[in-house]
Amino acid sequence: MTASRDTIESVKETIYKSCLLLDDNKFKDWLELCDGDFTYAITAYSPEIRRDMTYFSGNREDLVGMVNILPKHNTDHSPLKRHASVYNVEVDEKAKTAQAVTSVLIYQNMLDGINSHIDSGENRLFVVGRYVDQFRLNGGAPKFVKREVRLETRRLDKGSHWPL
Amino acid sequence: MPSRNAAQWNTPPNSLRIDEFVDSRIYSDPEIFEEELDRIWKKTWIPLCHESEVPEPYDFRTFTIAREPIIVVRGPDNKIRAFLNVCPHRGMLIERRPAGSFMENQASGNPKHMTCMFHGWQFDMKGNCAMITREKEGYQERISRKDLGLRELRCETTFGNFVWVTLDDNNPQTVQQWAGPALECIQKNLDAEPLEIFHYHKAIIGCNYKLWHDTNSEFYHDYMHYHNRITGFNDAYFARKNMAFDNGHVVVGTFEVQYEKYKGAHSRAALSFPGLPPNQWYMVDLFPGANFNLRGSALRVDLMTPLGPDKVLIEFRGLGLKSDTAEERAQRIEHHNTIWGPFGRNLHEDLIGVAGQGTAMQAGAEPRRIIQARHENELIHDEIGMRHFYQEWGRWMNRLPSDPTRKYMEAAE
Repeated sequence: MTASRDTIESVKETIYKSCLLLDDNKFKDWLELCDGDFTYAITAYSPEIRRDMTYFSGNREDLVGMVNILPKHNTDHSPLKRHASVYNVEVDEKAKTAQAVTSVLIYQNMLDGINSHIDSGENRLFVVGRYVDQFRLNGGAPKFVKREVRLETRRLDKGSHWPL
Repeated sequence: MPSRNAAQWNTPPNSLRIDEFVDSRIYSDPEIFEEELDRIWKKTWIPLCHESEVPEPYDFRTFTIAREPIIVVRGPDNKIRAFLNVCPHRGMLIERRPAGSFMENQASGNPKHMTCMFHGWQFDMKGNCAMITREKEGYQERISRKDLGLRELRCETTFGNFVWVTLDDNNPQTVQQWAGPALECIQKNLDAEPLEIFHYHKAIIGCNYKLWHDTNSEFYHDYMHYHNRITGFNDAYFARKNMAFDNGHVVVGTFEVQYEKYKGAHSRAALSFPGLPPNQWYMVDLFPGANFNLRGSALRVDLMTPLGPDKVLIEFRGLGLKSDTAEERAQRIEHHNTIWGPFGRNLHEDLIGVAGQGTAMQAGAEPRRIIQARHENELIHDEIGMRHFYQEWGRWMNRLPSDPTRKYMEAAE
């Protein structure tokens, strides 16, 4: 079955909207794009130990809790910004689902990470990977039901408290 | 309390003993760093990896200790050995990948051999030189393969089957003698059944390696961690004992963590390591830069590789039980990641802390006194762990940590 161009475009728009919201640390608005059974994971394959790894995982409730508790934690405040390109969207019209693969580079705009006098304002490549997303299509905007942030990067220095 | 002028700032408080502070030059001085590589890192046992990283014969991992490239291989006899990862011919790295299997074909050589890609010299898993290309034509009878084996390093697989290596053939101790008493508190937990690695990531931080070890050694910095304040900071937490062991090692005693007090977290009791009471947490800090951290359901092991006076590679490993079901493993990984993952609650905060110290203690900055003077009956916020480490450091370096221009031995007298 050939997916309608409109459906594919709506999936792409949802992914790009999620990127803008994450760029702006609007995590609650980002989670509004996600269905109630949404699951999220940051994964990587390690050639060092030759295993698939999970660096972070949680459901929607876990993420809401994590975002709410962020102000109680010390964190690197250097903003993360994305460059994303949706490579592929596959739609199953019958099942009303879609999945997409998006190439993503996340940059850190240095603020207080190391020495703000020297580093603030500088951009550093933070991670390289892909978003592997699954959606539910029930009319209206597609809803995320699963996001896997599949990283190539395994040298993560200070890491992050924020969703990628 | 008034602020201080330069003279006051540079005068140590009279009330502090010389073992209660260190001079920040030990964290930044290039000459001291070079001495540390020679006097300490080339002499001690280092837990390089876990045996589950080389699970099959002909598997290998590569590492560096004190700038020396090292390869760890599992032989067809199932024995794990370590060698300098250097071809005796032209000094080329033999294996360039971080891990893999010599069962696979290589562009320059045969399976089941370590092959230097440069000129095709091959070595077996015992380090014997197995092939020299055009040997007779080039060398006639002047040299023999038996004289051109790899440099083998002392290697022991012990304490949960970690692979320990020392560059010093004359190291007078075994791993058991070196670290056994400190690791005894968790040995039964590590050795009860086979372990398996599930997590690996690395960080390169602009600070001296000892600053990361300090952070692992002192728990006073739990004030930085909301998670630890909420789940700890009760009578049992403040009763945790620091115990100093020979060779500069320190153990921080256990207590029961109240995970359920952190929103979204749950008890880890159901997946406790064998023999470990529910939700307990032991920390073993090994001189000069490794750490075994057993928190109920997951084991974390940090290994530091000093890259410069103000630069350290930290490798973070997470391990569970080889017998884990898929569900158990997933749960164990989640427990590990919540606190210790690169996107978890605590590790990020710890790394911000030492990065900030590194920024403030760069080479050439004025020498500062870094205080380690808390005395609380050797309990959790007592800084005996750092003081013990620096006594050992002083002995190995023959430098006084509080004034590294002075000889430790003379000051001790």
